[in-house]
Amino acid sequence: MLQLDAVHIAYGPIQAVADATIAVEPGQIVAIVGANGAGKSTLLKAIAGLVPLAAGGIRFEGRDIAALPAHRRVAAGIALSPEGRQVFPDQTVRDNLELGAYSRRLGQADLARAMAAQYELFPRLRERQDQPAVTLSGGEQQMLAIARALMGEPRLLLLDEPSLGLAPLIIREIFGIITALRARGVTVLLVEQMANLALGVADRAYVLETGRVTLEGSGAELLQHPRVRAAYLGGGH
Amino acid sequence: MLATYLQVLVSGLAIGGVYALIALSFSITFTTTKTLNFAQGEFIGVGAFLGVTVLYLVSGEGSFAALAPAAAGGARYPLAAAVVGAVLGALGILLFLAAIRPFAGKPGMSWVMSTIGFGIILQSLGLAVWGPAPVNMPSPFGDDVMRLAGAGVRPQEILVLAVAVVLMAALDLLMRRTRLGKAMRAVAHNPQVAALMGINVAAVMLGAFALSSALAGVGGLLVAPIASASLFMGMGIALKAFSGAIMGGLDNPRGCIFGGFALGLLEAGVALWEAQWREIVIFLLIILVLAIRPNGLFGARALDKV
Ligand SMILES: Nc1ncnc2c1ncn2[C@@H]1O[C@H](COP(=O)(O)OP(=O)(O)O)[C@@H](O)[C@H]1O
Ligand SMILES: [Mg+2]
Repeated sequence: MLQLDAVHIAYGPIQAVADATIAVEPGQIVAIVGANGAGKSTLLKAIAGLVPLAAGGIRFEGRDIAALPAHRRVAAGIALSPEGRQVFPDQTVRDNLELGAYSRRLGQADLARAMAAQYELFPRLRERQDQPAVTLSGGEQQMLAIARALMGEPRLLLLDEPSLGLAPLIIREIFGIITALRARGVTVLLVEQMANLALGVADRAYVLETGRVTLEGSGAELLQHPRVRAAYLGGGH
Repeated sequence: MLATYLQVLVSGLAIGGVYALIALSFSITFTTTKTLNFAQGEFIGVGAFLGVTVLYLVSGEGSFAALAPAAAGGARYPLAAAVVGAVLGALGILLFLAAIRPFAGKPGMSWVMSTIGFGIILQSLGLAVWGPAPVNMPSPFGDDVMRLAGAGVRPQEILVLAVAVVLMAALDLLMRRTRLGKAMRAVAHNPQVAALMGINVAAVMLGAFALSSALAGVGGLLVAPIASASLFMGMGIALKAFSGAIMGGLDNPRGCIFGGFALGLLEAGVALWEAQWREIVIFLLIILVLAIRPNGLFGARALDKV
């Protein structure tokens, strides 16, 4: 579904991602784990079109999308829920969701139906639909960020650190939703610092270290891998 | 006495309405692109002269420098407003492409110089076409002073206030209720995240400059019958409007409108006692407000710290 081929990404002189080759198969949850600053967010931003590739190729559903600007990638079927949630704080939950569907140009009835589907998945958002997003708790904002991305009806959902700063109970709820999305046929590319969580749900996973892919395998394999256990899982478990 | 106050109120609200409109036009480009059009003053002057030209061409009444009152009658003034809005909107797009886009988002403030330069070029071209002399523009409702509870009120003052209020209310609705307005607010908050929604950020920015410039042109057309139209008249108006925007909070459209009206009322009020103190009082007050609230009265960044 998505192929990154020997991708290099740089911010001016700073090389953030080097020679990354990553494949995402349809219907899977693919995880990218790695320490802070490894280049995980940069990779997702490049897939969403926010930062250009310095070298390498990117194909989505067989089509070369390297030249496609960010706002057209949503319509192509890729949506990103960015790190730190980035909801529009002074706009209501409903307006945030409406913006998520911006590229679909839905009429009122279809828009209401699409929102109802999100409220089904995230019942707490329904209660808060007329509140400005800034008044939501961290967990609710994360749900809104994911729901907003889903409003674009993506076939590939990119999630950047959905667990960031959240309580364990909320994290479990959100990971439950991520696996439910896979069951509905949404392909998920998940970036996490919490490696144990991400590898636990992932069909396939990559370890990113200072911009390079150093390990890859199934989620279960990497969970058992001694280097992963030492570096990201604190040795225990 | 009451009549005098009423008179001050009406003329303060009228000129305040123009300041508010132009203040809003500054806010529109600032929130969406973090840049400002420092040629806004010239855009106001060109808007006024373009309006006079349209009235002259379609009416054939009087001479260019002294249009007959009938020249602004009927549908001619609205027609002039439509032409001014369209032409200035196109000029705003040209300004964005030539003077903003090459520099926006880059370090340094080259866009300050490039927009000022664009204004100077525009003014020079205007002088070449229209000459330096001010011209009189008739009001569509005539220039006879009306009596309102003893106060002398010019019809154009009422028109200016009404049009400014209607335009601002329409823009407020646009920003809060429509798909396009919500997209503009999203771009204002964070262009990258807006792009993730599928919003064409570059197009929204272009539209913001077109809208902002059209407002400046229409503002010029509105004030021209109150003062007289001159290519230099925009500078003072733009400076006051900018001050109003800074005072109300450049990133808050409603704050900008408040700042514009407050400045207009203050100006009219101070002029009642000592006209020569007007500018001094106004700018001292602005400095005082900013010393206490650096982001303006309703600026958003003051909220972020909470
Ligand atoms: N906008 C930017 N400008 C310059 N350097 C950046 C920018 N964003 C990220 N970087 C750098 O790129 C590297 C990777 O960052 P990032 O992708 O955010 O890592 P991660 O998401 O894995 O924590 C880091 O060294 C970071 O400092
Ligand atoms: Mg990151």
